Amino acid sequence: MSQLVLEAKNLSRTYKLAKGASGSGRALRHALIDMNMKINSGDRVGIVGESGSGKTTLVRLLLGLDTPTSGSVEFKGQALIAGKMPWLRKEVQIVFQDPRSSLDPRMKISEIIREPLVCLNIQEDHNARIDEVLDSVGLDRAMRDRYPHELSGGQRQRVAIARALAPRPTVLIADEPVSALDVLVRDQILELIAALTNSLGITLILVSHDLSVIARLCDRVIVMKDGVVVESGNTRQVFDAPAHEFTRALITAIPRLPESR
Amino acid sequence: MRKAMKGNVSLIAGSIMVSITFALLILSFIWTPYDPLAVNPEDSFAGVSMRHILGADKIGRDILSQIIVGSRVTLFVAALAVTIAMTLGVSAGILIAVASRRYQSPMIYAVNIALAFPAALLAIILAAVYGASTITAVTAIGLATAAAVAQVTRRTAHGILASDYVLAAHASGASTWRIIRKHVMPNLRASLLIQASAAVSVSVLAESSLSYLGLGTPPPAPSWGRMLAGSQQYLFVNPLLAIWPGIAIVIVVLGFNLVGDGVREVFDPTLRRSDS
Amino acid sequence: MSLLEVRDLTISFGSKKVVDCITFTLEKGARIGLIGESGSGKSMTSLAIMGLLPDTATISGSITFEGQELIGLSDREHSRLRGNRIGMVFQEPLTALNPLMRIGKQIAGPLMIHKGSSLKEGLKKALELCTKVGLPDPDRILRAYPHQLSGGQRQRIGLAIALACEPALLIADEPTTALDVTVQREVLNLINALVDKEGSSLIFVTHDLPVVSAMTENVAVMQLGKIVENASVASLFHEPAHEYSRRLISAARLAEDSFSGKGGQL
Repeated sequence: MSQLVLEAKNLSRTYKLAKGASGSGRALRHALIDMNMKINSGDRVGIVGESGSGKTTLVRLLLGLDTPTSGSVEFKGQALIAGKMPWLRKEVQIVFQDPRSSLDPRMKISEIIREPLVCLNIQEDHNARIDEVLDSVGLDRAMRDRYPHELSGGQRQRVAIARALAPRPTVLIADEPVSALDVLVRDQILELIAALTNSLGITLILVSHDLSVIARLCDRVIVMKDGVVVESGNTRQVFDAPAHEFTRALITAIPRLPESR
Repeated sequence: MRKAMKGNVSLIAGSIMVSITFALLILSFIWTPYDPLAVNPEDSFAGVSMRHILGADKIGRDILSQIIVGSRVTLFVAALAVTIAMTLGVSAGILIAVASRRYQSPMIYAVNIALAFPAALLAIILAAVYGASTITAVTAIGLATAAAVAQVTRRTAHGILASDYVLAAHASGASTWRIIRKHVMPNLRASLLIQASAAVSVSVLAESSLSYLGLGTPPPAPSWGRMLAGSQQYLFVNPLLAIWPGIAIVIVVLGFNLVGDGVREVFDPTLRRSDS
Repeated sequence: MSLLEVRDLTISFGSKKVVDCITFTLEKGARIGLIGESGSGKSMTSLAIMGLLPDTATISGSITFEGQELIGLSDREHSRLRGNRIGMVFQEPLTALNPLMRIGKQIAGPLMIHKGSSLKEGLKKALELCTKVGLPDPDRILRAYPHQLSGGQRQRIGLAIALACEPALLIADEPTTALDVTVQREVLNLINALVDKEGSSLIFVTHDLPVVSAMTENVAVMQLGKIVENASVASLFHEPAHEYSRRLISAARLAEDSFSGKGGQL
C-alpha cells in the first residue's frame, strides 16, 4: 500500500532571458514543459537528462525553492508555494553534486550538520542527533571539529548526506551525488545512499546523466530532454528495450570496456 | 596561519609603520617636548637642533610636538570615518545583494552615483553649510568611502550567495537573516579586513587633503595637513617644514596599505591550499 | 628515435611530490592513455610536456621531444613548440577560449604566430579547419564569440586550434569530461579520426577507463604520482598486473554490469 508522496501536475517553468544583443524584447526559455510525475512512498526514481533537459529546474521546483510558471507540485496532496512552506524543508532534503562547494568552508562539520536542526527547530538533542547521523554515514565522530578542506571528496559527500538526513526527511533528492567523486569512491557512496534510504524508508529521487548509476539504484527511470519527459518506466525495461530514440542515443553513446573474459 | 605570516614582508613592514603611528598617538597623551601651541618667536625657523629635534616653524612652535599631537586628529578622523564607512557600506552592500531582482538595479545605480562624489566635494558642501570642522570632515570622508565599500561588498556577497552551500542552507530551512549572519559575514571577513585597511589609508590621505584645503579641523589644533598648507610658502626657504609632516602622512598611509596587502597574502594561499 | 621520451620525471611543489620519477615513451603515430584519479599527477605530466607548469613547481628528469630536451628550455623556446609541434586540448572548453575574441581570430592565432600567416590567410585556414572538425556553417562560427556556442562546438574549436599547425603530438586532457554523453561520443570519434588522418601521436589523459580503452593502444596507470602499470589495452584488461589497476577495472565493470543488468541492484 503505497501512498503518493510527491506529484507534479502539468508542471511548467519558463524563464525570461535577459535582453540579448538583438535587443528586441525578451526571449523565453522553456525549461520545463507540462510535466507529470507521480512518486510514491518508498520509490526509488531516477531522472536522466543532459544539460538543458530541465532536471535542475525540476529539482528546484520539487524542493519548493522556485515557483512554477503553471501547474503545481504537491507534497502529500498539498500544493507547494515557494517560500511559504518552511515545514517542507523538513520533509524534502537534497544532496548536491559538488561536495567542495556545497559545504561552507568556514564552518566546522558539526555546525554544518547542525544547521538544518536549528533552522527547522528540531525538537531533540542536536548533539546526539549529529553523532547519530555521523555514525550512520560511516564517519568518525572526531570529524565533528574538522573543516571541509581537511576531508577527502568522499568524506565530504558523506557529510552532505548526513546533513540531508539529520532532520529525518521523507524524501531525499540526490543531484548527481557521485559525479564529482573519484571513480573508486563512487560505489561506496552509492551503497551508502541505498542502504540508508532502504533502512530509513526514505523515498529517493536520483538525478544523474550516468545511466549506470541510475541502474544501480533506481527501480524507475524518467528520461528528460529539452524540458519534456520522453520516456519513463521500469529501469530494466527502459534500458533493455528503449522506446524513444533519445534514450537509445544515450545508451549507445556510453563508452564500453573491451571484453575480458 | 602563522607560517603564512612569517615571510610576509608587507605585513611586517606595514605593522611596524602602523605601530610607530600608534606610538606617536600614545605619546601625545603622555609627553611632548614642547606644548605644540606654545609660541616662541625667538626660535622662529629654528633648524634641526638639540633644542628642537625637528626644528621649529615661523612662530617658533616645535615641529616634533606638532607632529606627535597631530597624530591625534589624523587617527581620530580616520578611525571614525572608517567606522562610518564600514558600517554603512557593508550593511548597504549586503542589503542590496539580498534584495530581490527588481529593487537591485536602482540601488546599484544609486551606489554608483554616490561613488562619483569625491570626499572633497562633500566636505566643501558640508563646510559651507555647517562651517569646517572635524565632524564635517569625518562625515564627508565616511560617506564617500562608504560608497566604495558598499560596491565591493555587494559584489563579494553576491558571489557568496550564489554558492552551493548557501543553496544548501536554504534547503535546510535557513532564513535570509540567518544566511547573512552565518554564511555571508564569515566568508566576507577576508574581504572586509582588506577593505578596512585600504579605507584607513584613504581616510588619512583625505583628512590631510581636507585640512590642507582648510576644510578639516580648524586651528589651533595641530594637523598634518594644515602643517603642509602652512609650510607651502616657505618651501624653498625651509623645506623641512613640509617634509616632516609629509613623511608622517606617508608612514601612516603606506603602513596601513601594506598591512592590507599583507592580510590579502595571508588569506589567498590558504584558500588555494584547500584542494590537493 | 622515439617522438617523446619521458625519463625519471619528477615534479614537486615545495616538499610535495606530485609526479614521482615516471618513465614512458611514445613513438611517432602511437597513442598512449594516462589514466588515474585526482591527485595521480596525470595532468601535471601533460602540463610539464607543454611547459605550462606554474613557477612554483620544481621539475627534474628528462623530457625529450623530437630529440630536443624540454626541461630547462626557456619559455620563449618552449612557446615555439606549443601550438606548433605540440597541441593541447583542455577539459573545460568555455574557459580555454578567450571570451572576448571571435572564434576565427582564435583559430588563426597559432597560424599567425608560428607560420607567419596574415590574419586573412589564417581565417581562410580556419574555415577549412572548422569543416575538418565537423562544424556546420563555418562562416557564422568564425564570427561568433565562445559563449554563443554549445559545449560540444567549443570543444571542436579547441581541437581546431590545437591542430591548426598540424602538430606531431596532440595532448588531450579530459577533453570530454565536461560534455554531455551524446556529444562526448561524437568528439571522441572526431579526435580518433583526426589523429588517424594526420598521423599524429596522442596522449589521452582521463579518469575514465572505458573511454581510454577506445582511444589508445597503450595505457599508463598512474597513482599518487607514479606509473604503477604500463601495458597495452588488451593485456591490461586481460591480466592487470597491479592491484590499483585491478580496482579501477572492477569499478568500471561494476558500473557496466549494473547498467546491462548483469550486476545486482542495490
